[in-house]
Amino acid sequence: MLKVNTVTKRFRTKLAVDAVSLSASSGRILGLLGPNGAGKTTTIRMIAYITTPDTGEITFDGKRVGPWSQRVMGYLPEERGLYRRMKVGEQLEYLGRLKGIPRTDARETAKKWLDRFDAADWWSKRIDELSKGMQQKVQFVSTVLHNPDLLIFDEPFSGLDPINAELLQSVILELKEEGKTILFASHRMEQVEQLCDDICMIANGRIVLNGTVREIKQSYGRDTVGLEFDGSSRFLDDLEDAGRIRVITRTHQATEVRLIDGTSPRQVLDAALAEVDTLFRFEVVEPPLNEIFISVAGGSNTDASETSA
Amino acid sequence: MSQIPVIAHREYTQRVRSKAFIIATALGPILMLVLLAVPILAAVFSSEEEARTIAVVDQSEVIGDYLDFPGNYEVEETRQTIDELRARVDAGELSGYLVLPPSLLSGDGAARYYSRGGGGIMATERIEDSVRDAVREARILQTGAPDAVLGILSERVDVQMIQITDEGERTDSTQILAVFGYFMGFLIYICVILYGAIVMRGVIEEKTSRISELIASSARPFDLMMGKVLGIGAMGLTQWLIWIFAGVGLTFVAGLVLGSVMDPTLIDGDAAGAAAATPQFRQFLPDIPSLFPVYFLLFFLGGYLLYSSLMAAIGSAVEQEADAQQFMWIVIMPLIIPTVLIVNVMSNPDGVLATTMSLIPLFSPIVMVVRMAATNVPWWEIWLSLVLLAGAFVFAIWISSRIYRVGILSYGKRPTFKELARWMREA
Repeated sequence: MLKVNTVTKRFRTKLAVDAVSLSASSGRILGLLGPNGAGKTTTIRMIAYITTPDTGEITFDGKRVGPWSQRVMGYLPEERGLYRRMKVGEQLEYLGRLKGIPRTDARETAKKWLDRFDAADWWSKRIDELSKGMQQKVQFVSTVLHNPDLLIFDEPFSGLDPINAELLQSVILELKEEGKTILFASHRMEQVEQLCDDICMIANGRIVLNGTVREIKQSYGRDTVGLEFDGSSRFLDDLEDAGRIRVITRTHQATEVRLIDGTSPRQVLDAALAEVDTLFRFEVVEPPLNEIFISVAGGSNTDASETSA
Repeated sequence: MSQIPVIAHREYTQRVRSKAFIIATALGPILMLVLLAVPILAAVFSSEEEARTIAVVDQSEVIGDYLDFPGNYEVEETRQTIDELRARVDAGELSGYLVLPPSLLSGDGAARYYSRGGGGIMATERIEDSVRDAVREARILQTGAPDAVLGILSERVDVQMIQITDEGERTDSTQILAVFGYFMGFLIYICVILYGAIVMRGVIEEKTSRISELIASSARPFDLMMGKVLGIGAMGLTQWLIWIFAGVGLTFVAGLVLGSVMDPTLIDGDAAGAAAATPQFRQFLPDIPSLFPVYFLLFFLGGYLLYSSLMAAIGSAVEQEADAQQFMWIVIMPLIIPTVLIVNVMSNPDGVLATTMSLIPLFSPIVMVVRMAATNVPWWEIWLSLVLLAGAFVFAIWISSRIYRVGILSYGKRPTFKELARWMREA
């Protein structure tokens, strides 16, 4: 159990993190989301004991974080980096030893993980001989090498092709099944939505939304409509101009719109049927997290943090 | 549990196995030989100055007889006119011509040397010396001074300096003592340039390769800095040891080869000669306490590590190597100050200045070594100085780790002292 208790961090004039409290439990993935510069990375660095809070307290399993917790924690920073001129194998052994595991154990686990990522024959290659995506995988292995209980992934999928992103996703879900406490920071809402059990939204250094993905989405109700059609889509513009809907996504044949000002799904359906040639799909759904985030962060001065508990 | 050994081990093994290290180790001695050979060759060649022909117009009619130029000068007494002489100089027949006016004897006039310039300081000095000696001799003889006076004037005057120490008297060899100080300063300077720069680059590399955040989530910056400085320090020592062993080995082999080729009686004769020369030679060396080499090594190591950790601090404070230049005075100034003051230290090795400086960590490696050679430094002063040096080393590592920590966290801005103070409190 990771607990962040009313933590504040100030950089000279900028209040980077303002009385943030959150908790993450074992066997669950907590998504930390927010736009760039919201305070995600600063919060993570305090959890990783790279920096310390000005006020407040961070504990893991009831004990204040410190050098001891660094050993049971794996951290994949957003800014990736390895020793460029060092060989993959030696690098992983070294990073494992820094986490306090013996060299032979580090070697064994590193080989096992590289195997998992189809990278067993990179062992004696230098990092600067690898492609960016390959380096990414090595970096991920260095994060999980010492079998940590607490895992922090900051934008883990950036720079990965879809196949490897999927592989990584399944690995992260496995780690969750093993009972690890996982923190997943991203500004890509759809990834968070897919992966996380709980979410915590940060904007301007403050938590604006906190709860399980299920509860948060339910609390916003089914106010979003998905459409797939063939033919003219001018009805969308008309509805939007009239202030009845807000278009979230729009492609040639498909769209997702948010109902506003008490517009009923029926009104959208009627408008669509009056105009399109064929309607393939009409669906009333919960809004995507992105939408929720925009409505929450947009009006964050009118306190929106008590959406759900 | 400290991670210093793990970090130092990586720094050491990675670097010792690198191509750069192997090449530098192989080429280092060659470069050193070249550096040594250049001044020697230069000296050899410059001593064989080209022959000069100088015409002397002796209007005094006397001084010319006493002129005594070195062997490679060809002197030609002449009565040619100035115009003729100038033409010969222009034609390259003469290097120049010397005009000695009659008034020179009475002490009013000045000798004039005309040339097309060049020849350098050495030639100028030779001509000056020769003319001065000749004029002086001519003037003395003119007064009719007896030979005895001349003899007295040309006699050498020796003054021997004997230092009274607790163990008895010993020859005071202040000049030679200075060598230890300069040598130490030079040695530390070379090592800081060679290896301190590697430490600095290593710290900068942690940041530019962006591994610093990963490392900071696994190890304390203090351990990282200490491990880096110690690991790279060990690498430097390895390189020197390889050079020393190779040098000793080569000398030994060369001796064996020469021995098998040369007439053994010749070698015996040489050995006897060398043995006979030793006591004389020893007189020139100051009496130095037997522990001196040990202390020298300790002060060298301490100084080297302290200056390396300053380089680490500089590396922590900058974003890229080019920015480091503006901070180099932090390392250069403390090396220059004691070097400049070595003469003062030697002239009064027990004075307040010398004693104080020999305790101040950044100066002590140079100043204490000079003092130890120059006087009897109480053992507690030596050890106090060493302890202070070690303390300063750890403190410098600590400071650089704080700068490093703030450096990777802040968004590209320099850490303020206030921020540094907070880091020191919290970590």
